[in-house]
Amino acid sequence: MSEADVMTKVVGILSPYAKNGDALAQVGPTTHILDDLKVNSARLVDVVLAFEDEFGIEIADDDVDSVNTVGDAVRLISSKL
Amino acid sequence: MSGAVDEGGGGAAVGRAAAADEAGAAPSRPPPAGSVDGRLGRDRLVLGVQRAVGRLLAPVWVPLLVVLMRYRMGWRIQRAEVVRREYRDLVAAGGPILVCANHLTLVDSALVAWALGSPAWYLAHYAALPWNVPERRNFTESIGSRVLVWLMKCVPVTRGGDRAEVAAVLGRLTHLLVRGETVLLFPEGGRSRSGRVDEESATYGVGRLLGSVPGCRVLCVYVRGERQEGFSDLPARNQRFRVCCETLRPTSRWTGLRGARDVSQQIVRTLIRLEQQHFDDRQ
Repeated sequence: MSEADVMTKVVGILSPYAKNGDALAQVGPTTHILDDLKVNSARLVDVVLAFEDEFGIEIADDDVDSVNTVGDAVRLISSKL
Repeated sequence: MSGAVDEGGGGAAVGRAAAADEAGAAPSRPPPAGSVDGRLGRDRLVLGVQRAVGRLLAPVWVPLLVVLMRYRMGWRIQRAEVVRREYRDLVAAGGPILVCANHLTLVDSALVAWALGSPAWYLAHYAALPWNVPERRNFTESIGSRVLVWLMKCVPVTRGGDRAEVAAVLGRLTHLLVRGETVLLFPEGGRSRSGRVDEESATYGVGRLLGSVPGCRVLCVYVRGERQEGFSDLPARNQRFRVCCETLRPTSRWTGLRGARDVSQQIVRTLIRLEQQHFDDRQ
């Protein structure tokens, strides 16, 4: 799966949790999940588990800390595919 | 006091601390101050001092707090003896206890503690007086409030804040529970905006904390004033509160984040059930 495809799926997973529609409309690799998309930090676990289910991967707790932007998520997921 | 603990990357720091404890290794020299072990050591020292000073002044502040609630605000807790008996039994059995409660006002931590024990009992069982986790921004206006918060067994957290800070808070709470102290958390995070326990609002710090403390029992407590319709800063004066509780030892077939979510949801669903019982009893 290409990184572009991963990006599309990641954005799809983040969409229901993103409270900033403007940032979501212009989402890119440097878009910050918490600060820009305004995803509630309490929902990050749901987002990470959705990544696991969608891509059939396991994401360790330590890896979660390294995911700040959409690009970080895409790179992490791509590395595990 | 709002007792939100958002989940964060606390697993790594907590895991390292647990491994160090289990190994029983004594470092030949103190760890660097900026290291994880150094920070944990400093946190434990600070918590120890906080506990000792709070304990020393408890004969003043514990009864005073109850006098304020009982006589200044006119609050009453109905049937407190039922939950107090259950809590006393849990404490007598030994081991860590995590109290999880619904959240409607800024003083819920004090109300829950009052429901679970009398001032005299807490003076004799200070470890049973729950530590709680208020939102830092609610108590930073004055030095006086910060001192009071510190004295009253609070571990402040910035909800939605830096994940490293949240991880550090989880580490402190783990240390307290492992030490046999009681911690009070609100699984919904902040006060319930709908006025009812909302499973969709559940945060998973509770589940992650329980994953770090094997054998921890959970006491779910539902407390609500008879005239409390939604959330507020303070309950109305002369409010009568009804309280109910249920003890559980949540387990999950999953581990890691999925297990933490599963456990947290079990706790929130228990609170929802207690809430329904509360409203059914009112009819």
